[in-house]
Amino acid sequence: MASSKVRTSSFSRKVPAAPTSSIPGLKYGPNGTIFLSSGIPDLDKILGGGFHLGSLVMIIEDTEAPHHMLLLRTFMSQGLIHNQPVLYASPSKNPRAFLGTLPATLVSKDDKSIKSDAEQKDLRIAWQYKKYLGENKPPIEERDGKVEYCNDFDLRKPIEKHLIAGNRVECVSLLDCSSLTGIRDSCSKFLSQLPRYDGNITSAGRIAIQSFCAPQCEYYDKEWDMLSFIRSIKSMVRSSNAVAFLTFPASLLSQSVSKRWQHLADTLLSIKAIPDEDKELATLLTGYQDMLGLLSIHKVARFNTQVPVILDATTYSMKLQKRRSLVLECLNQAPVDGASGCSSSSKNTGTLDF
Amino acid sequence: MADAVCRVLRDGALEGEHATSLTINDSVDSPFGPTVFHYVFTQLSSFISSGKSQSRGIVLVTFSRSPSITAELLKNRGIDVAGSHEWLRVLDCYTDPLGWKERLKDHGVIKTPLTEASLNVTVCKDVRKLDDLFSQILTLGKGLVGDGKNRFSVAIDSLTEMIRHTSLSSVACLLSNLRSHAQVSSIFWLLHSDLHDLKAVAAFEYMSSMVANVKPLTSENTDKFYLLEQSYKRGEFHASLKRRNGRVRVMREEFSIENSLIKFTSIAYGENAVAQSLVPKVQFNLQLSDKERSDRAKVVLPFEHQETEKSVQIYDGRKSDKHESNGASVEKSKKQEDSGRGEIIYFRDSDDEMPDSDEDPDDDLDI
Amino acid sequence: MNRPASLLDNALNLESTQKGRVVLVEDCVETSGAFVLHHLIKRFLSSPNLSSSDSIVLFVAFAQPFSHYDRVLRKMGCNLAAQRETKRLLFFDMLMLECPDDGVEGGLIALYGNIQKAVEVNSSNKNITLMIDDISLLEVAANGSTKDVLNFMHYCHTLTTQFGCTIITVLHEDIYSSGDGFTFPLQMEYLADITIKTEPLITGLAADVHGQLTILNKGMIDGFGSSKGKIHNFHYKIKENNVDYFYPGSRS
Repeated sequence: MASSKVRTSSFSRKVPAAPTSSIPGLKYGPNGTIFLSSGIPDLDKILGGGFHLGSLVMIIEDTEAPHHMLLLRTFMSQGLIHNQPVLYASPSKNPRAFLGTLPATLVSKDDKSIKSDAEQKDLRIAWQYKKYLGENKPPIEERDGKVEYCNDFDLRKPIEKHLIAGNRVECVSLLDCSSLTGIRDSCSKFLSQLPRYDGNITSAGRIAIQSFCAPQCEYYDKEWDMLSFIRSIKSMVRSSNAVAFLTFPASLLSQSVSKRWQHLADTLLSIKAIPDEDKELATLLTGYQDMLGLLSIHKVARFNTQVPVILDATTYSMKLQKRRSLVLECLNQAPVDGASGCSSSSKNTGTLDF
Repeated sequence: MADAVCRVLRDGALEGEHATSLTINDSVDSPFGPTVFHYVFTQLSSFISSGKSQSRGIVLVTFSRSPSITAELLKNRGIDVAGSHEWLRVLDCYTDPLGWKERLKDHGVIKTPLTEASLNVTVCKDVRKLDDLFSQILTLGKGLVGDGKNRFSVAIDSLTEMIRHTSLSSVACLLSNLRSHAQVSSIFWLLHSDLHDLKAVAAFEYMSSMVANVKPLTSENTDKFYLLEQSYKRGEFHASLKRRNGRVRVMREEFSIENSLIKFTSIAYGENAVAQSLVPKVQFNLQLSDKERSDRAKVVLPFEHQETEKSVQIYDGRKSDKHESNGASVEKSKKQEDSGRGEIIYFRDSDDEMPDSDEDPDDDLDI
Repeated sequence: MNRPASLLDNALNLESTQKGRVVLVEDCVETSGAFVLHHLIKRFLSSPNLSSSDSIVLFVAFAQPFSHYDRVLRKMGCNLAAQRETKRLLFFDMLMLECPDDGVEGGLIALYGNIQKAVEVNSSNKNITLMIDDISLLEVAANGSTKDVLNFMHYCHTLTTQFGCTIITVLHEDIYSSGDGFTFPLQMEYLADITIKTEPLITGLAADVHGQLTILNKGMIDGFGSSKGKIHNFHYKIKENNVDYFYPGSRS
């Protein structure tokens, strides 16, 4: 597992007659599995390489915090960067509008390896204008023949338009589906258009479903229909080159149904809001001021193996680095102030898992 | 005393009375419900086969176990299976309760299911029709004992399954029809009580003249695995028996499994459960045994002076020590040897005098 | 690779003469019980103790496709693809099974028919094991009709007495533990002769101890009982090719 965590292998040369490992955005994992990036380098590292191709990833939303949207955005943007078809479903009237909020790749000054040398010498333009550069040139990744497995994203900058226009992006509104058969059909159609796995993978697809059990959807009361939808998505994705990424507010489901959903997930993550100006937490955790929220990893997909993945830490803090890119950090207990002693420790920390 | 329950079933019903009926309740905590059911079944079987009971035959309606297991069981108890045709009919609701196999056979998917040769078995192919089930039970019973005045018994292996296929009220209706039928001597059934709500359990207890509960052994030891271990070896058998004279007989027994036989032993601390239920249940002990009572009487209380045989004069707060000898104002406590009780004899100097309230009432204690 | 019998094998005591038992594995989100299935597939298909050519495994898969089980078992030294070739493993892929509202007919009855057909074909002097990898998903396939699932399980149970099949199933117990009056796991426990529970340790998951197993063996009810202990509790650690079972504290 250690070797797959190293990110150095994410650069690979694109040769026409290349083995499958050179397919952009995919890499081999252990036990004959193939990884696809989550769009967050730290999360990929934690999960041992990314999401398994063929897996169902579920995120338990915190109704108080929107961080699942961050994960959803980076997941979709990463797909677009790699020219992977994306299907997006959400309980809003106009899901296509969401595409405008997807983040662009981060082009940072100190990370020179991404940029071509020519660009560095000839053109020095403000970052706002970079997107115009891309319009008449092929995307950055292909320009210098290098493709990154996983990009850093600048959450403040919208994605280049040509990436949305040039790729297969389907948007479905969950509000339009009175029963779930409609969306199930669009998913299966989407998946059937992906090239089948025949020892050589040419491309992968991403299905992103936001707030699946939102109460405004007509099927909200039909919990068995929802379960059977998730089950069939899981089976369909399993036999195709795709990852399904589904977020849901667990508090809107009854406890037993929520447990069923959690059992269905191959990879299960949850978001937790962090209380604002909580003095106790501030003294307890280093970097409390910068934290946006907490991400917990409950289950890591176990494909072709029976060994569970036991992580060193299951809860990570989400932070914005330089106010742009999302990073995950282990929770660190702040050094206890010598004068005050350790008596200040925590009635709140019961939920925190270091 | 589980035998007492079996004897009541053996004696059956009086003319014009409902058939004697027994509910056996069990829960998943103790896996011995079926064992107790089979114990009652085999006991009654041996009474019937030796002609000692009111009923001349028994109809076993089996939902949760194959008839072959019943045959095995009879064999293990030394009951002649071949001779059981005389007194036993099995209505098999286990093998094909919903007719799936019948349908699959018709479509040629599966072959003929095996039939159990050793017992006289009739297969019921749709247990959801309780009217048919009722008439099938009667037909089988009459086939055993004829149309005359002879009676038969009915045993139902797990009402739970029956309720799952139908409904509580229809099952209750079936049972009531069976009980009031003139040719039925006794009925007993098994119920997994933790699978039903209290209403269902109460309904079946209402319809039975005897209720037996199979419970895990109670123990002071709180170790989870110890308790589990014990409840998979032994258990308690609680039975209450509505008697004809209107009284209720309550019994508690412990049972254990030895050499695949169930063995009942009476519980030593068997207190009268009714008496217990009349007294409010408290965490501490309100009753004293005779020994405890006499021990208590012997305790020398703090207000009794420990130096016995001395009459003690206590300062009452108003007079100085030198006036002590004034007998009229002396409080005296005496110990009475014969009864072992303390007694205080108290003299007030005048009736209208109020006791002093500002004095410490305990300063006379010699502790 | 003739290992001494593990604690799990001893606790299950499946070698005893009694045939036709029902084993129920109860697990939860934190600790999947699938490894018990893997262990038992291997035992039945390639254990040297049983005369293995006589044993057949019918595997009804709701949770994972064949490729997954094939790879997992290959690492344990058992080639499922080859076993499937020689018809010693019959794999029913039910990942896409759907039973519409009144369609017990097409779904569960047909599935049962296929199972019994397979059992009948192989019934001559063989040990047949029926494994269902996720009863909770069968419930989803039956559109939440617990009654139909129980009926299906009842019919499977008739195979234990008629053909001496052993049945092994997995149920996610935490789904039903919210106290909403679910009786489904209890019903399954009544049906089962042996219940195996997997739970995380109270202190959480660790790299060295992946969880604990509690095994309740009703065993003797039909009068074949041995005097062995009926309750077992031990810890386990899952490895690729094997699982370590050990008593708490007995590992340094």
